[in-house]
Amino acid sequence: MTLMNCLILAFLLFGIGVWGLMRRRHLIGMLISIELMLNAANINFISFAYFSAKDSTAGALFSIFVIAVTACEMAIALAIIVNMYRRHHSLDADQLRDLHD
Amino acid sequence: MNFILPNFIIPDALLLLFPFLVIGSRLFCSYRSPIPWRMANIGFIVIFVLLNFIPLTNNIGKFFICNWKIDDFGVLIREVLMLSAMLGMWLSKDYFEHGADGKPQMHQFAEFTGAIAFATFGGFTIVSACDMLTFFLGLEIATIPMYALTAWNKKDQMGSEAATKYIMMGSVATAFELFGFSYLYGFSGSIYFNEIRTAVEAGTSNPLLWVAILFLFCGIGFKLTLFPFYTWAPDVYEGAPTPVTAVLSVTSKTAAIAFLVVLVFGPLAPVQEQMAPFIALLAATTLFVGNLGALKQTRLRRFMAYSSIAQAGYIMIALLGPVEMARTAIIYYLFVYALSNYLAFFIFGIIGHHREETFDSLRGLSQQNPALAIALAISMFSLAGIPPLAGFFGKFHLFFAGATTGHYMLVGFAVLNNVIALYYYLQLIKSAWIDEPEDHLSPLRLTKRQRTIIIALSVAVVLLGVLPFLSNNIFGGFTF
Repeated sequence: MTLMNCLILAFLLFGIGVWGLMRRRHLIGMLISIELMLNAANINFISFAYFSAKDSTAGALFSIFVIAVTACEMAIALAIIVNMYRRHHSLDADQLRDLHD
Repeated sequence: MNFILPNFIIPDALLLLFPFLVIGSRLFCSYRSPIPWRMANIGFIVIFVLLNFIPLTNNIGKFFICNWKIDDFGVLIREVLMLSAMLGMWLSKDYFEHGADGKPQMHQFAEFTGAIAFATFGGFTIVSACDMLTFFLGLEIATIPMYALTAWNKKDQMGSEAATKYIMMGSVATAFELFGFSYLYGFSGSIYFNEIRTAVEAGTSNPLLWVAILFLFCGIGFKLTLFPFYTWAPDVYEGAPTPVTAVLSVTSKTAAIAFLVVLVFGPLAPVQEQMAPFIALLAATTLFVGNLGALKQTRLRRFMAYSSIAQAGYIMIALLGPVEMARTAIIYYLFVYALSNYLAFFIFGIIGHHREETFDSLRGLSQQNPALAIALAISMFSLAGIPPLAGFFGKFHLFFAGATTGHYMLVGFAVLNNVIALYYYLQLIKSAWIDEPEDHLSPLRLTKRQRTIIIALSVAVVLLGVLPFLSNNIFGGFTF
């Protein structure tokens, strides 16, 4: 396993995340795609820390902090989505049409 | 062991403590108690005053536990953020007493203020960061409370839709930024800004660095509403409650601009010149799109959203200049922008309490309440940049910073765009001063607090322009 393999894996994950975000119309599906993108960044941090960095502790720590921050963000996102479901009775992103030009 | 808290860290510590105190106070007092409101007033004012006591020394900054830097730029950005938090809290107070603009009344004032204080602390963290981790956490602390604030009106359909759009876009932005940070870490092997800077100096043409910069700009572009990523802003600004829109347009924009300034003049300073065409392109497209979008709006908050997109474009121009000049120009403009924007939002808020927030509701304002119409004209002329007002000098310094490094094309384009901007700001003034009201409009009543704040803000916007000595500290960086 080399650094390049890990970077390609992370980049693919990120790409899958972006693709999923565009393809999925369900809000939970979109959240999972976002989670994939964030975890791709985590893999990047850890692989750089393991293979190349001078300061390898920092990269590993960074990914732990990212997991915590992501948890906060997802908690808020789920709360907002639950509230949104109560108002609109749907989790389809295409239904978000009340606000437009 | 003898542990002494240095003076300059006290406002930060107080602000961090403040939300816990104000939210905690809800445990001991009843639902309708005025205690959280009084605590919020005292807390914000004390922190703001304490910040003003920190001397500006033009040095490289002081350090707390070697990783929390407080320099002149940081102190001034802190003042803008505290000003924004204070005004936002005062603006929001009326929305907790009755509904406005077709939205129901809001609840939980203590938690609301706490969330604003957390967002402000996020901005503090951004400007004091010395490493990427603190920097990233600061940006997140500044953004996450904003999502909650947008959705504060739980019963409002628009609010929940706006919050959903905001959090989706915001999380994608976070992912992009984080990916950029990870490549920057891989490129330099360290998360400390000074070591990144050394690495950037050594390898300015490394592709990894440029991929990292691309991702970072994508991420911050979402938060600063730069051109290809601005689409969420009008929807969110319209759907959020009015005071939240005001806080969003000042606090979150200030935090994002501070982020860019710290990044561009900190670790990425050696490649600032190579980044210049890229920044110039972003600035030009952003202000053009913002101005075009604002032309056809009829609803006030949506209009303010496009206006603030254009303002972000203007601020980007200063990023091309030399470091001291750019920093001073940006800080001065942020002060002016915060004051003018809040003045506009206070007026829209008063109108929104009685009518819908549209251009039509402004009709006949000059006959009904001339003082309010004058305040509206001051704020709009300041945002448009008409000479005796503060907005003109702010824009002048932004353009001056851009022109110093020879970006005449961009500055010329921005000035031409300012003419388009003047057109739509004048349209708003026209509705207030010239258009006759169609039918009978409900009367406007101002509370004492609203009147005081509107007078104070109008005076500040006028004086900040004509009395430059008031902002002596701010002009320290200019050498004419």
